[in-house]
Amino acid sequence: MDFALSEEARLMAGAVAGLLADSCTTAQLRALLARGDSFDRDRWGRLVAMGLPGALVPEAAGGLGLPPADFAPLAEACGAALLPEPLVEMAGITLPLLAEAGERVLLARALAGEATVALVHPRAPFALHAARAAAVVLVEPSRIRLAPTGALRITPRESLDPFRPIAEVAAAEGAETLAEGTAAAALSARAADRGALWSAAQMLGMGQRCIDLAAAFVQGRHQFGRPVGSFQAVKHHLASAQVRVELARPVLAAASAQSPGAGPATAARIAHAKLACGTAAEAAACAAIQVHGAMGYSWEVDLHFHLKRILALSAAWGTPAELRATVATRIFAAPPGPETLFPEEDARG
Amino acid sequence: MKVLVPVKRVIDYNVKVRVRSDGTGVDLANVKMSMNPFDEIAVEEAIRLKERGAASEIVAVSIGVAQASETLRTALAMGADRAILIRAAADVHQDIEPLAVAKLLAAVARDEGPGLILCGKQAIDNDMNATGQMLAALLGWPQATFASALAVADGTAEVTREVDGGLQVLRVALPAVVTVDLRLNEPRYASLPNIMKAKKKPLEEKAPADYGVDVTPRLTVVRTAEPAGRKAGVRVGSVDELIAKLKDEAGVI
Repeated sequence: MDFALSEEARLMAGAVAGLLADSCTTAQLRALLARGDSFDRDRWGRLVAMGLPGALVPEAAGGLGLPPADFAPLAEACGAALLPEPLVEMAGITLPLLAEAGERVLLARALAGEATVALVHPRAPFALHAARAAAVVLVEPSRIRLAPTGALRITPRESLDPFRPIAEVAAAEGAETLAEGTAAAALSARAADRGALWSAAQMLGMGQRCIDLAAAFVQGRHQFGRPVGSFQAVKHHLASAQVRVELARPVLAAASAQSPGAGPATAARIAHAKLACGTAAEAAACAAIQVHGAMGYSWEVDLHFHLKRILALSAAWGTPAELRATVATRIFAAPPGPETLFPEEDARG
Repeated sequence: MKVLVPVKRVIDYNVKVRVRSDGTGVDLANVKMSMNPFDEIAVEEAIRLKERGAASEIVAVSIGVAQASETLRTALAMGADRAILIRAAADVHQDIEPLAVAKLLAAVARDEGPGLILCGKQAIDNDMNATGQMLAALLGWPQATFASALAVADGTAEVTREVDGGLQVLRVALPAVVTVDLRLNEPRYASLPNIMKAKKKPLEEKAPADYGVDVTPRLTVVRTAEPAGRKAGVRVGSVDELIAKLKDEAGVI
């Protein structure tokens, strides 16, 4: 399996990272927060103009039909920049789900940037940015429905991450049914896989950003006439965090390269990716906070935004216990080894 | 009107540059490279000219190593129509000197017959600020450098230049060479669909020999050194003390 990104994918990742470096700085995010908001219309417009909402939507449905492996670095960039708008959730999970369910009207509006769509799923029961959305996709155990936001009772819930407003959405009568029975179960499973995968990618991006922030800080802060980063007690913390990020990277690449799939091997690979990226990112955030010293805990240092987002994403789309159970199912179903590492029969698309 | 835009692959402006241990230049191994920011502004301006109907085709040209094709793909993704890569070096550390670049660009210009050549005013790696001027001289075309505004109409280009103490407006007859400055525009980010389309746009590969140009270096880098580290500041207790220090120690007032 070749994990190297294509030239095209590198260009896309560079363009998205560049746009976010300009338009999604933590100073801009703090200004947004000071206004009591978590959604910047101008930035959203620029992301839509880049064609990002349709990244994973098939070309036949008006999207770009990118392979999932090419979307992973885009999700990483969004995570690293702490993007508050629900781009990864919409482009990575909700709109591909709408496309697979055959919905076209709302999909076209979302791709054009005229509407946002929120999602409620058993593995992510609180809807993100629901109050601003035009509609909410309700994934239930036996069916998938679509309801306009005006027809729903939306109750805001306290969010760990100040940039991710979450809400409980009460089921509506008269919502449009998109799928039922086994078709709904299959779509729901694929949405869950995507949710876990893109959460993993975002967390990996945040883990790397935490290390970069910390490395820059310890090179600039001096004690005893030397940068504090030159002391083993400091640099080994960051080196260990970087090793964990590097070891999580190919796990994510493998999972995204063969996603979406339909068997225990793909499910385990995605679960493994979220576990590896989540633990690596959390370790990186904690190490970064520690090497900052006491100020690492302060509101003024940006690291707490990353840690809060990492913790929020760790809890969504499969808790660590659920993910470990998925990996265990795969291990006990077939012996692990090189010949079963990337089984062809499991891959789709 | 066809617009020719030379683009150079340089070390990314966000990268902290490190001098090679032998002092022959900066270390480019495993370093992020990007399009020279001034060239990016030139590409953007060419696209805007095309969007306004003042240009019909944009040709991006790069001279250097094979990896410069990535820089050209970026230009194509932004909106250039086709690209020419002149592979003039195999080692990423070999910088093709401005005169050789100007000779190659002049040869390309004679082949392509553009109405306007838009160059970045300088490359951020060697800061030579010479290629555009040399190119205009070699072609015998008018030149306007450091453009902060550009208007093309009726066979002429009106160029606003940022000069010491103000602005200067020049009108040059086309074809001409215009080098662009930082404040001309803000380059766009290529959209995902355009990045995908760029893959299908033509990128022609050439060699210096195809144009009969010798790119052998004429200059020798004697030494490269990092700038001296910034010294720690001094906290003063009062305005009077500050004035005294500026007057007696710094000698600036």
